[in-house]
Amino acid sequence: MEKKILEFANILRKSGIRVSTAETIDSFVALEELSLEDREIFKDALRTTMVKRGEEIATYDHLFDLFWSGFYDNLRESFGQATGGLAEMGIDMEDLLRAIAQLLQSGNAESGDLSDLARALLTTDLSQLENLIRMAAEQAGTSRIENFLQVGFFSRRTLEQMGLEGAADQLRELADRLEQAGMSPEQIQALRNLIDRLLEAVRRSVRAYTERELQKQNHDYMEKFRRETLLEKSFYHLTEDEIRKMREVVERLAQRIKNILSIRKRRLKRGKLDLHQTLRRNMSHGGIPFELIFKQRKKDRPKLVILTDVSSSVANVSRFMLQFVYTLQEAFTKIRSFVFVAELGEVTPLFQEKDISDAIEAALEGGDAINVYTRSNFGYAFHHFWQNFLSAIDNKTTVLILGDARNNYNDPRAWCLRDIHNKAKNVVWLNPENPSAWGFGDSVMDKYLPYCDVAEECRNLRQLSKIVDTLLL
Amino acid sequence: MFESVQQVLEKLSKEHYIADKNIATVVYLADKLQKPVLVEGPAGVGKTELAKVVAHATGRRMIRLQCYEGLDEAKALYEWEYSKQLLYTQILKEKFTEKMAGAASLRDAAEKVGEEDSVFFSHHFIVPRPLLNAITSEEPQLLLIDEVDKSDPEFEAFLLEVLSDFQVTVPELGTIHAKQRPLVFLTSNNAREMSDALKRRCLHLYIDYPSQELEARILETKVPGVGAQLIQDVVTMMHRLRQLDLKKTPSISETLDWARALLALNASDLDEEIVNQTFNVILKYEGDVRKAQAELDKLLQKKAGEAAAKAPGAAPTPAATKKGALH
Repeated sequence: MEKKILEFANILRKSGIRVSTAETIDSFVALEELSLEDREIFKDALRTTMVKRGEEIATYDHLFDLFWSGFYDNLRESFGQATGGLAEMGIDMEDLLRAIAQLLQSGNAESGDLSDLARALLTTDLSQLENLIRMAAEQAGTSRIENFLQVGFFSRRTLEQMGLEGAADQLRELADRLEQAGMSPEQIQALRNLIDRLLEAVRRSVRAYTERELQKQNHDYMEKFRRETLLEKSFYHLTEDEIRKMREVVERLAQRIKNILSIRKRRLKRGKLDLHQTLRRNMSHGGIPFELIFKQRKKDRPKLVILTDVSSSVANVSRFMLQFVYTLQEAFTKIRSFVFVAELGEVTPLFQEKDISDAIEAALEGGDAINVYTRSNFGYAFHHFWQNFLSAIDNKTTVLILGDARNNYNDPRAWCLRDIHNKAKNVVWLNPENPSAWGFGDSVMDKYLPYCDVAEECRNLRQLSKIVDTLLL
Repeated sequence: MFESVQQVLEKLSKEHYIADKNIATVVYLADKLQKPVLVEGPAGVGKTELAKVVAHATGRRMIRLQCYEGLDEAKALYEWEYSKQLLYTQILKEKFTEKMAGAASLRDAAEKVGEEDSVFFSHHFIVPRPLLNAITSEEPQLLLIDEVDKSDPEFEAFLLEVLSDFQVTVPELGTIHAKQRPLVFLTSNNAREMSDALKRRCLHLYIDYPSQELEARILETKVPGVGAQLIQDVVTMMHRLRQLDLKKTPSISETLDWARALLALNASDLDEEIVNQTFNVILKYEGDVRKAQAELDKLLQKKAGEAAAKAPGAAPTPAATKKGALH
C-alpha cells in the first residue's frame, strides 16, 4: 500500500501538484486512522494531506480515478465479453470448464506443464491475471512511456514478458490432448473458440493497461503544451478562441502582480521612537513617558501613468495591454490611464466604472475622448499630453507607454517625451515590434529611445510577464 | 473526541451544520493527526461557521483571531504592559532606593537593579493575546484564525512556529509549550496565495458551493418553515445564477437570506414579481441583476411550461397548478 501511495504521489508531482515528503508521510498517518473500506473517505484523506490548492482539485480527482480505479473492472469487462460470446453460441461455459478440470485432474502430470498464465486463463482467475499483467508491465518498463506512438511497443513487450505465445501454444496443445482423450467434437470446437477469445482479451487488456499508464504519466502534458505555446504566441496572430483562453492567462498573471503589490503596499511598520512627540505628550505625566509615540514610516506608493496606443495596427496587442492596465488599476490607487491614436484622451474614470470587457471595448473605441479612426501620430499625442497632463507626473511617477512607435512619417516631437522623462521617475516603453525593426520605415522608436529608462520588446505573454517581474516590482 | 467520520457527520448535523463526507473526513483527521486545517473556498460557504460548530460540538471554547493588514505579534500573541510596568516602577521607587542604599559604586547599583529585572518581565506584566491564550490554556481549545489571507507574509511566517510545534517564544520568558494542543482552523478567501510552508503544515479543506441536494438540505435545516416547492425553486435558481459570470457570485449565506426574505413575504414559490422585489438580497451589483434577469425569465418560463404540462385539463384553478408543480 505504501509503495502504491508513493507512486501516486509521484504521479501527482508529474502533473504539477507539489507534494512534499512530509505531506506523503501525513497521508500514511491519516490512512492509519481511517478504515479504508470507504473509497470516498480514502480519496478525501489523500486529498486533504497532499493537495493544498483549490485549483488542483480537478486534476487530483482525475488522476485519482485513473490511478485507483480498478484495472480489475476493465479486465472483468473484456473477459466478460470473451466468455459471454460462448453463451450465445449455446455452450455452457461452466460445463466446459468442469469437463476440462476433470480431465486435468485425471492426468495430473499434464496439468503441471501449464504456465501460470495459461492456468489463470483457463480458470479465468482475474486477480491472478491482473497481477501477471502488472508484473510483466513493470519488467517491460511501461511506466517510462512518453507518447502515444509507444503504446504498441510497450504492449508488445509486456505480452512478451508475460509469455503469451507460450501460453497459447500450451492451451492449443491441451485442446489437442483433450480431443484425443475423447472430448466431444462440439466441446472441443467450443474450447478452441474460447482459447482464441481469451488470448484476444489478454491482448486487449494489456493494451488498455498501457494506455492507462500513458494517461497517468502524461495527464498534464497536453494542457501544459497548450499553455506554453500560448505564452509564446505573438499577440498579432491569435484566433478568437485563443483570445478567450489568453484572457484567462492574462488574468492569472495580473492576479499574481496584484498579490505581490498588495504585499509590498502593506509594509506599514512602526518606525523609531519619536522623542519629540513623546516628551510633549507626556508633559502631563510629569515627564514620565507613559505614552510612547512612534514615527510612522512613510509608505512609498508608486504612481503610474499609462499611455496606450489603440490604433488598429496594434489592436490585438492593445487589447491585452488594456486588460493588464485594467487589472493594475484595481491594484494601484494612483494610476491614470490614457489612450491615443493621434488625439489623446483619459480613460481612468471609464476603467473605474465599467466591467472589464465593457471598459476595454470602450477604450478601444476611444472612450468618447478621442477619434480612433485616424492615423497614428505619436508626436501629436505626446505634445497633447505635454500640454495638458504634464502636471500629473512627479518624481514618483512611472510612465508606461505601450505602442509600436509607427508614426506615419509625422514629426515625432521627441522633446515632449524628453520633458516627460525629466519629470518622471521612470519611463518604460513596451513595443510589440522586434528591436531590430526599431527606427526602420516609419518607426521613430530610435528618436524616443534616449528618453526611455527601459524599452523592451513585448510581443507575447512570456515577455510581458518577464517585464512585469523585473520592472514594475 | 470523534470516533469515526460518520460520528463527525452526526455531531455536526446535530449542530445544524449539514456537511458532506469530505468536510467530515478532514475534521476527523484534524483531530486524530493534531494538525491545523486550512479551509479555503468562496466567501459565504460556511468556513468560519464550520469552526464555530466544531467548537460547539466538541465542547471546546473557541478563541478567534481575526486577521487584517498590519496585524502583528503584539496584537496576536502578547504585549508587555508598558504602562503597568512604569506605574510599578514609580510606586516602588522608594523600595529601589532602599535596595540600592548599600551600593558602593554605580556598577554595584546597576548589578542590583539587574538582579530584579525579572520582576518586570514576568507573567505579571504580560497581556496575553489570542494565540498565547490558546497555547497556555489548561482546557483544550479551538483556535480560529480567520481570513489569514488578509494578514502580512511576516505574520504568516510567524504563525509557522505556532502551527507546527504549538509553541511560542517570548524572548524574555523563553519558549512556552502548549499544555493542551488546540484544534486550529485557518480560513482563507484566497485574496493572496498562502506560502507552501504554511500549507505543508496544514490539512487542506476546500469548501465549494454545495450540490443542489445538499443546499436543499441546508435550507431545510437552517430556515424551518420553508415549503418544499420554494426550496426547490430557490436552489435551482441559485445554481443557475452561479453558472453566470457575475461580479459577486451568490453564496449559501445569500441563499439563506433569500429564503428568509421570501418566507417573510409569505411566498410559496417563485414568480416574477416576488423575485424582482427580493433580487437585491442575493445580488449586490446593478450589473449582476441585469445579467441575472434574462436567466430568471428563462427559468420562470420553463416552470410555467412544466406546471401547465403536469396539470392538464380545462382551465385549472391556480391552486391546482401550484399543486401540480409540487411533484
